[in-house]
Amino acid sequence: MEELFGISMNSIMVALSAIFLAGMAAVVVMGWRNRVMVKLGLRNIPRRRAQTVLIIVGVMLSTVIIAAAFGTGDTISFSIRKATIDSLRNIDEIMLSTRVDASDSFGSPAYVPMGRFAALEADLSGLDIIDGMTPQVAETVPAQNPRTSLSEGQMRVVGLDTSRLAGFKPLALASSSQEVSLLDLASNEVFINEKAAKELEAVAQDEVRVVLEEGPQFFTVRGIVEDGGLAGRDPTIIMPMERAQALFDRPGELNVIVVSNKGDERSGADLSKEVARELRIFFADREVVGQLKVLLAQDSVLAQLQELEKDKDRIDGDARDDLGALIGQLQRTGTSDELIALLSDPEVSGNVLDALGGEEFSDIEVEASTLFDDIGEFSVLEIKRFLLGQADEAGSFVTSFFIIMGMFSIMVGILLIFLIFVMLAASRRSEMGMARAIGAKRSHLVQMFVFEGTAYAVVSAAVGVAVGLLVSSLIIFIANRIFESVAEDFSFVRHFELRSAIVAYCLGMVITFATIAFSAFRVSRLNIVAAVRGLPSPSTATSRGWRYAVQTFLPRVKNPFRFGWRMLLGLRHFNLVGQAGALANLLRTFRSILALPFAVLALLARLVLLPLKQGWLVLIAGVFLIVMGVGRWEHTAPFSIGVSLAVIGLGLILQTLLRRTSLREDRRDRIAFSFMGVFLLVFWLLPFDALESLTGELDSNIEMFFISGISMVGAAVWTVIYNADLILRALTLATSRFGKLRPVMVTAVAYPMSAKFRTGLTLAMFGLVIFTLIVMSVLTGSFGTAIADEDTVTGEWDIDASINFNTPIEDIEEAVAANPGLAIGDFQAMGGFTGFGVDARQVGVEEQRWEGYGVRAADDAFLASTKHKLKLIADGYGETSREAFDWLRSDPTLVVVDAFVVPSRSGGGFDEEGGFKLEGFYYDDETFKAVDIEIREPRTGEIRTFTVIGVLDQLTDAFGEIGGGMIGSKTVLDEALPFALPITTYRFRVAEGVDVAQAAKTLEASFQENGMETTVLTELLQEQADAQRAFNRLLTGFMGLGLMVGIASLGVISLRAVVERRQQIGVLRAIGYRKRMVQLSFLLESSFVALLGIGIGVGLGTILSYNLVTDIQKDVASIRFTVPWLQIGIIIAIAYVFSLVTTFLPARQASEIYPAEALRYE
Amino acid sequence: MSGVGWKEETVLSDLIIAARNVEKTYDTGKVQVHALKGVDLLVPRGEMVAIMGPSGCGKTTLLNCLSGLDEIDSGEVLIENTVLHDLPDDDRSDYRAKRMGFVFQLYNLLPVLSSVENVEMPLLVAGVKPAQARKASMEMLDVVGLVDRAHHLPTELSGGQRQRVTIARALVSEPAIVWADEPTGDLDSETAQEIIDLMTSLNKANGQTFVIVTHSREVGESAHRIVLMRDGQIEDDGLGNGTGNQAARAS
Ligand SMILES: Nc1ncnc2c1ncn2[C@@H]1O[C@H](COP(=O)(O)OP(=O)(O)OP(=O)(O)O)[C@@H](O)[C@H]1O
Ligand SMILES: [Mg+2]
Repeated sequence: MEELFGISMNSIMVALSAIFLAGMAAVVVMGWRNRVMVKLGLRNIPRRRAQTVLIIVGVMLSTVIIAAAFGTGDTISFSIRKATIDSLRNIDEIMLSTRVDASDSFGSPAYVPMGRFAALEADLSGLDIIDGMTPQVAETVPAQNPRTSLSEGQMRVVGLDTSRLAGFKPLALASSSQEVSLLDLASNEVFINEKAAKELEAVAQDEVRVVLEEGPQFFTVRGIVEDGGLAGRDPTIIMPMERAQALFDRPGELNVIVVSNKGDERSGADLSKEVARELRIFFADREVVGQLKVLLAQDSVLAQLQELEKDKDRIDGDARDDLGALIGQLQRTGTSDELIALLSDPEVSGNVLDALGGEEFSDIEVEASTLFDDIGEFSVLEIKRFLLGQADEAGSFVTSFFIIMGMFSIMVGILLIFLIFVMLAASRRSEMGMARAIGAKRSHLVQMFVFEGTAYAVVSAAVGVAVGLLVSSLIIFIANRIFESVAEDFSFVRHFELRSAIVAYCLGMVITFATIAFSAFRVSRLNIVAAVRGLPSPSTATSRGWRYAVQTFLPRVKNPFRFGWRMLLGLRHFNLVGQAGALANLLRTFRSILALPFAVLALLARLVLLPLKQGWLVLIAGVFLIVMGVGRWEHTAPFSIGVSLAVIGLGLILQTLLRRTSLREDRRDRIAFSFMGVFLLVFWLLPFDALESLTGELDSNIEMFFISGISMVGAAVWTVIYNADLILRALTLATSRFGKLRPVMVTAVAYPMSAKFRTGLTLAMFGLVIFTLIVMSVLTGSFGTAIADEDTVTGEWDIDASINFNTPIEDIEEAVAANPGLAIGDFQAMGGFTGFGVDARQVGVEEQRWEGYGVRAADDAFLASTKHKLKLIADGYGETSREAFDWLRSDPTLVVVDAFVVPSRSGGGFDEEGGFKLEGFYYDDETFKAVDIEIREPRTGEIRTFTVIGVLDQLTDAFGEIGGGMIGSKTVLDEALPFALPITTYRFRVAEGVDVAQAAKTLEASFQENGMETTVLTELLQEQADAQRAFNRLLTGFMGLGLMVGIASLGVISLRAVVERRQQIGVLRAIGYRKRMVQLSFLLESSFVALLGIGIGVGLGTILSYNLVTDIQKDVASIRFTVPWLQIGIIIAIAYVFSLVTTFLPARQASEIYPAEALRYE
Repeated sequence: MSGVGWKEETVLSDLIIAARNVEKTYDTGKVQVHALKGVDLLVPRGEMVAIMGPSGCGKTTLLNCLSGLDEIDSGEVLIENTVLHDLPDDDRSDYRAKRMGFVFQLYNLLPVLSSVENVEMPLLVAGVKPAQARKASMEMLDVVGLVDRAHHLPTELSGGQRQRVTIARALVSEPAIVWADEPTGDLDSETAQEIIDLMTSLNKANGQTFVIVTHSREVGESAHRIVLMRDGQIEDDGLGNGTGNQAARAS
């Protein structure tokens, strides 16, 4: 993995290490100057073992999550890299001819005469960055092994030129790695690779049958060679080139050239860009380049290009530099290599065509498009570089995904660190108070905590990285189990890079360290008297007002003048004392001038803090965000943060106003904070569109989940904590029947409710974690119901059957009817289509770009009988999906598109990524006006216009691997291509009462000759749903890591409580509490906090997910709000049981406290 | 002084506390402290006994050992004719809940509960119905003159008030014995006097037995007799065997 969140990992590592080292250096210097404080700070660590262990566990959690995310990402990019290298070996680029003619076919590359290759070879012999180049003949055919009756529909047959294999890894037997040569093969012998052997269960000497146009051919397997490199990764039969040429009736021709760069299997890819450039320059048709130059160098075109270059929203980075270079080249005379390289770079040509989007350029554009297509005789695919890049992208995607998903847990982890330090401070209150009383400065206390905290952090971050790696191993293990069923021959190989370890460690440390520094600062501000006496700190809410701020500021402004004046006075005396005095005053003047900026800062801080505390500045900020959020940015985040700030501001103002009344402080706080809490809750729990009539439409995305989660849970905790006595009273009523349990109940609630801060933090932790888990569970459960809507997904087709494009079926209905093994009556309907990639763009909109898109060119039978549902039908094209599909049949220029190219108003996250997108209407609309799109067939550069008259339901073909793209009649595209477009996919709908699985099997057997491979769609759906569920569970587990924190915090609190309450426990025992009652009291206390937190999480999570699901319903009508009670029950049970388990030991300890002892000492 | 006191004719059945040859040694691992060296003490029902002596002589230890809060090493303690130390811990807890009340030198209220909640605690532990417990507690708070502070937390009360709440809590369950360890220790003399008066009047009214450890002369003088301790032993049991009991006899 090379990048994370778009930043290079190396820079991340350097930056984080720098921060980390700077922090550590600061701590070391501080420690060196203050060794006593180091001793005092560290002394506490070994004294309480259990506590130290708990703290380390708690502090390490953020690091665990980060390290797990990195470990998973590293593994994934490493595994894909490895798979890439294993399958390509020395192959770095693939070259395919761009000259397609009628003799070529749909699925395989166009053919070139051998003579052309020989010429190329001679010309390129001087290019020393290439160390191998070899021609191939490659076709895909159906194949069978009669001995085992197994077949493979897409068997590659590759012919290799035995005289030109230098620079590539030689073929080697899979069993012994012994090198073999094609020259040793007898006239009908072939090698097959391991994959082919596996598919056909073939062994040496087996007869393999392949189906060709002219009929079947038999080969004897001479041996099985290792996969990868020239042998390929897909099932492949390998033979000498001449025989392959003869087999496919292409004497003296080839259709693939593979290139190996200088360097080994790995380093070869580094040269890829350079090699591709050289090759492109080399292949370029200079005449075409000249024509293009004339076309593009027109002033109007240049102006368009320059405009695009300036628009940073549309183009940036390398692409922008290239475009700039192209503009420069176009303005110069002649055709330089640089110009050729640029024009033949597909990325550059894509941008040029984009720049020519306007109507007035459409002629130029069409011309340019064809010319670009004609520039290179070959297209050069930088296959290895591309795949390796994909590997890195996948890795960093997974890492960022896990980090984002772990965000709540990291957040909760930070709360825990904070809590731990507040508790530590509480436990050392009197100690610290003494230290302050005998003259220790506040900064000394901060330092003491920083030293202790650093010690914890250094150890926990290291432990955290190790545990994180274990977690990632577990994730990978589970992921492999999940993928086993989906992708059988790919598995993840555990891998972790040192760089990631360093980044995870430093990141964990930096987060921890910052939290520790903040907490240390907070706890050092405690009131000395209160600390010594063990009393609660008095509130410092009473602000000192404007006058104080100004009063402390003014003298500092005066100081420089004062000292300056004194200095001048001193200068008048021409004696030593006078001079010395003047010098001293000069220094003072300087010092006071230097201090001035700080005084200004302090004044500003005071002037800002005051209105912040009194609330009206918060209110103003809130209102500002609301106005901007609705008016300018049209985004939910600023709007809702604004509303929240406004509510908080109003609450603070209320508190300030209440101060003037005679109400008791706790009453005032309760009124103010309950006001905030309740209003925030109400606001955040409103359905998403509740305020739409006021705010208009606002954008929103995934961060809203975090913002809303944190705000809601915060508000709920706030409300609960400040209204504790109401809960207490309710519980008192509810428990009045419990008899002996009652006193235990009373203390179990009273204690946590009196320690508002601790309890609040713990509640927040529990609440947040449970909240995320509930939302996850409900959403996945609800999506599960949507996928369960099988008919919408499958279009009521039962079987998907792919066939080999080299052996198409003329007329499927006839073929079925003619086949003795099949009964035409078993099938209600059948139809076919061919899926392939094209470039597409919308006509008549501002920014038009050619973007990749999928086409499903269907035959009439498919269009006539598909029952796919359309979410939107354009005005004038009927009311029902059936009517719309009939329109497609009658007019081949009409198409329907899939849901993913249509934006959604609620922005369900799909429209974020790039690619082809339509404009002008939304998926959640009721209807729309038909729009035109252009489709460009990339091989020929031909452009055709189609009209979009419908949008398929989002669930259509939601299988992942098959499906996607627009559906239209194949007639128009047939015309656009020089060769016949074979049907490669058939769909079958079986008749009532026919066994689908059996029918699929029979079909496959009957059309073996055509390489048919069938899938029962409902089974596929089931498999995918299972994998999805397993993956969701994995994710839930990962997010549940935060639960550990909540549980650990209960443990910390309980341990602490045992120490703090020794004496009170003694009293309780004297009053007549049995040991058991003491223990129970502790357990109930934890239960109370845990259950309250769980309750908050479950309640808010359920309401939020209800809102989410109703919102999603606008897009996915079939989604139902379902609460997976079993899963939620398990989550709750785990959370609750483990909370009890961690409190059990402290509770036992408490019950063993000996009353006489406890009462004796403070 | 009238009321119940030690008479020559007091029979064994009238004794509420009978301790014989009680020994207690603290073993801290490093040092052994022989805190009680064979203490004998008899207290009849309804008596108010003051235990006095220099600091560290073993008064608190004796109180804890007699009340069953602490274990003894040898000897015998009979409370209401029951050998408390033979009872299992749970039964001893129950016994404390029903028959004993405690007042300690330090303010031993639960800081998270209000006055009335603190007072009703022993009743709830003893299984009294909440409504009844609340009623009894309010009455008890009335006796100690703190009804208006019933819903205040201990931190919102003065030292004397807290001690009065503690006494209310000790007495609310109408225990047979009230143990008090320096109940007036931290209070000024005026407040201390209030507390003493409160205890003597309650003793008089309900006939409960009070065992009070104290350094204060005034407290000692208010008691029926003074037991003097020194170095882990009873120096004078207040029954004429020494000089320390003049105060008790004089009254
Ligand atoms: N847990 C203990 N471990 C060791 N020694 C102890 C322990 N508790 C008390 N002691 C010792 O036992 C002796 C008696 O202590 P005790 O508290 O009973 O004295 P006291 O008479 O109540 O004194 P004061 O009037 O100061 O409260 C003292 O010497 C004391 O140091
Ligand atoms: Mg004592």
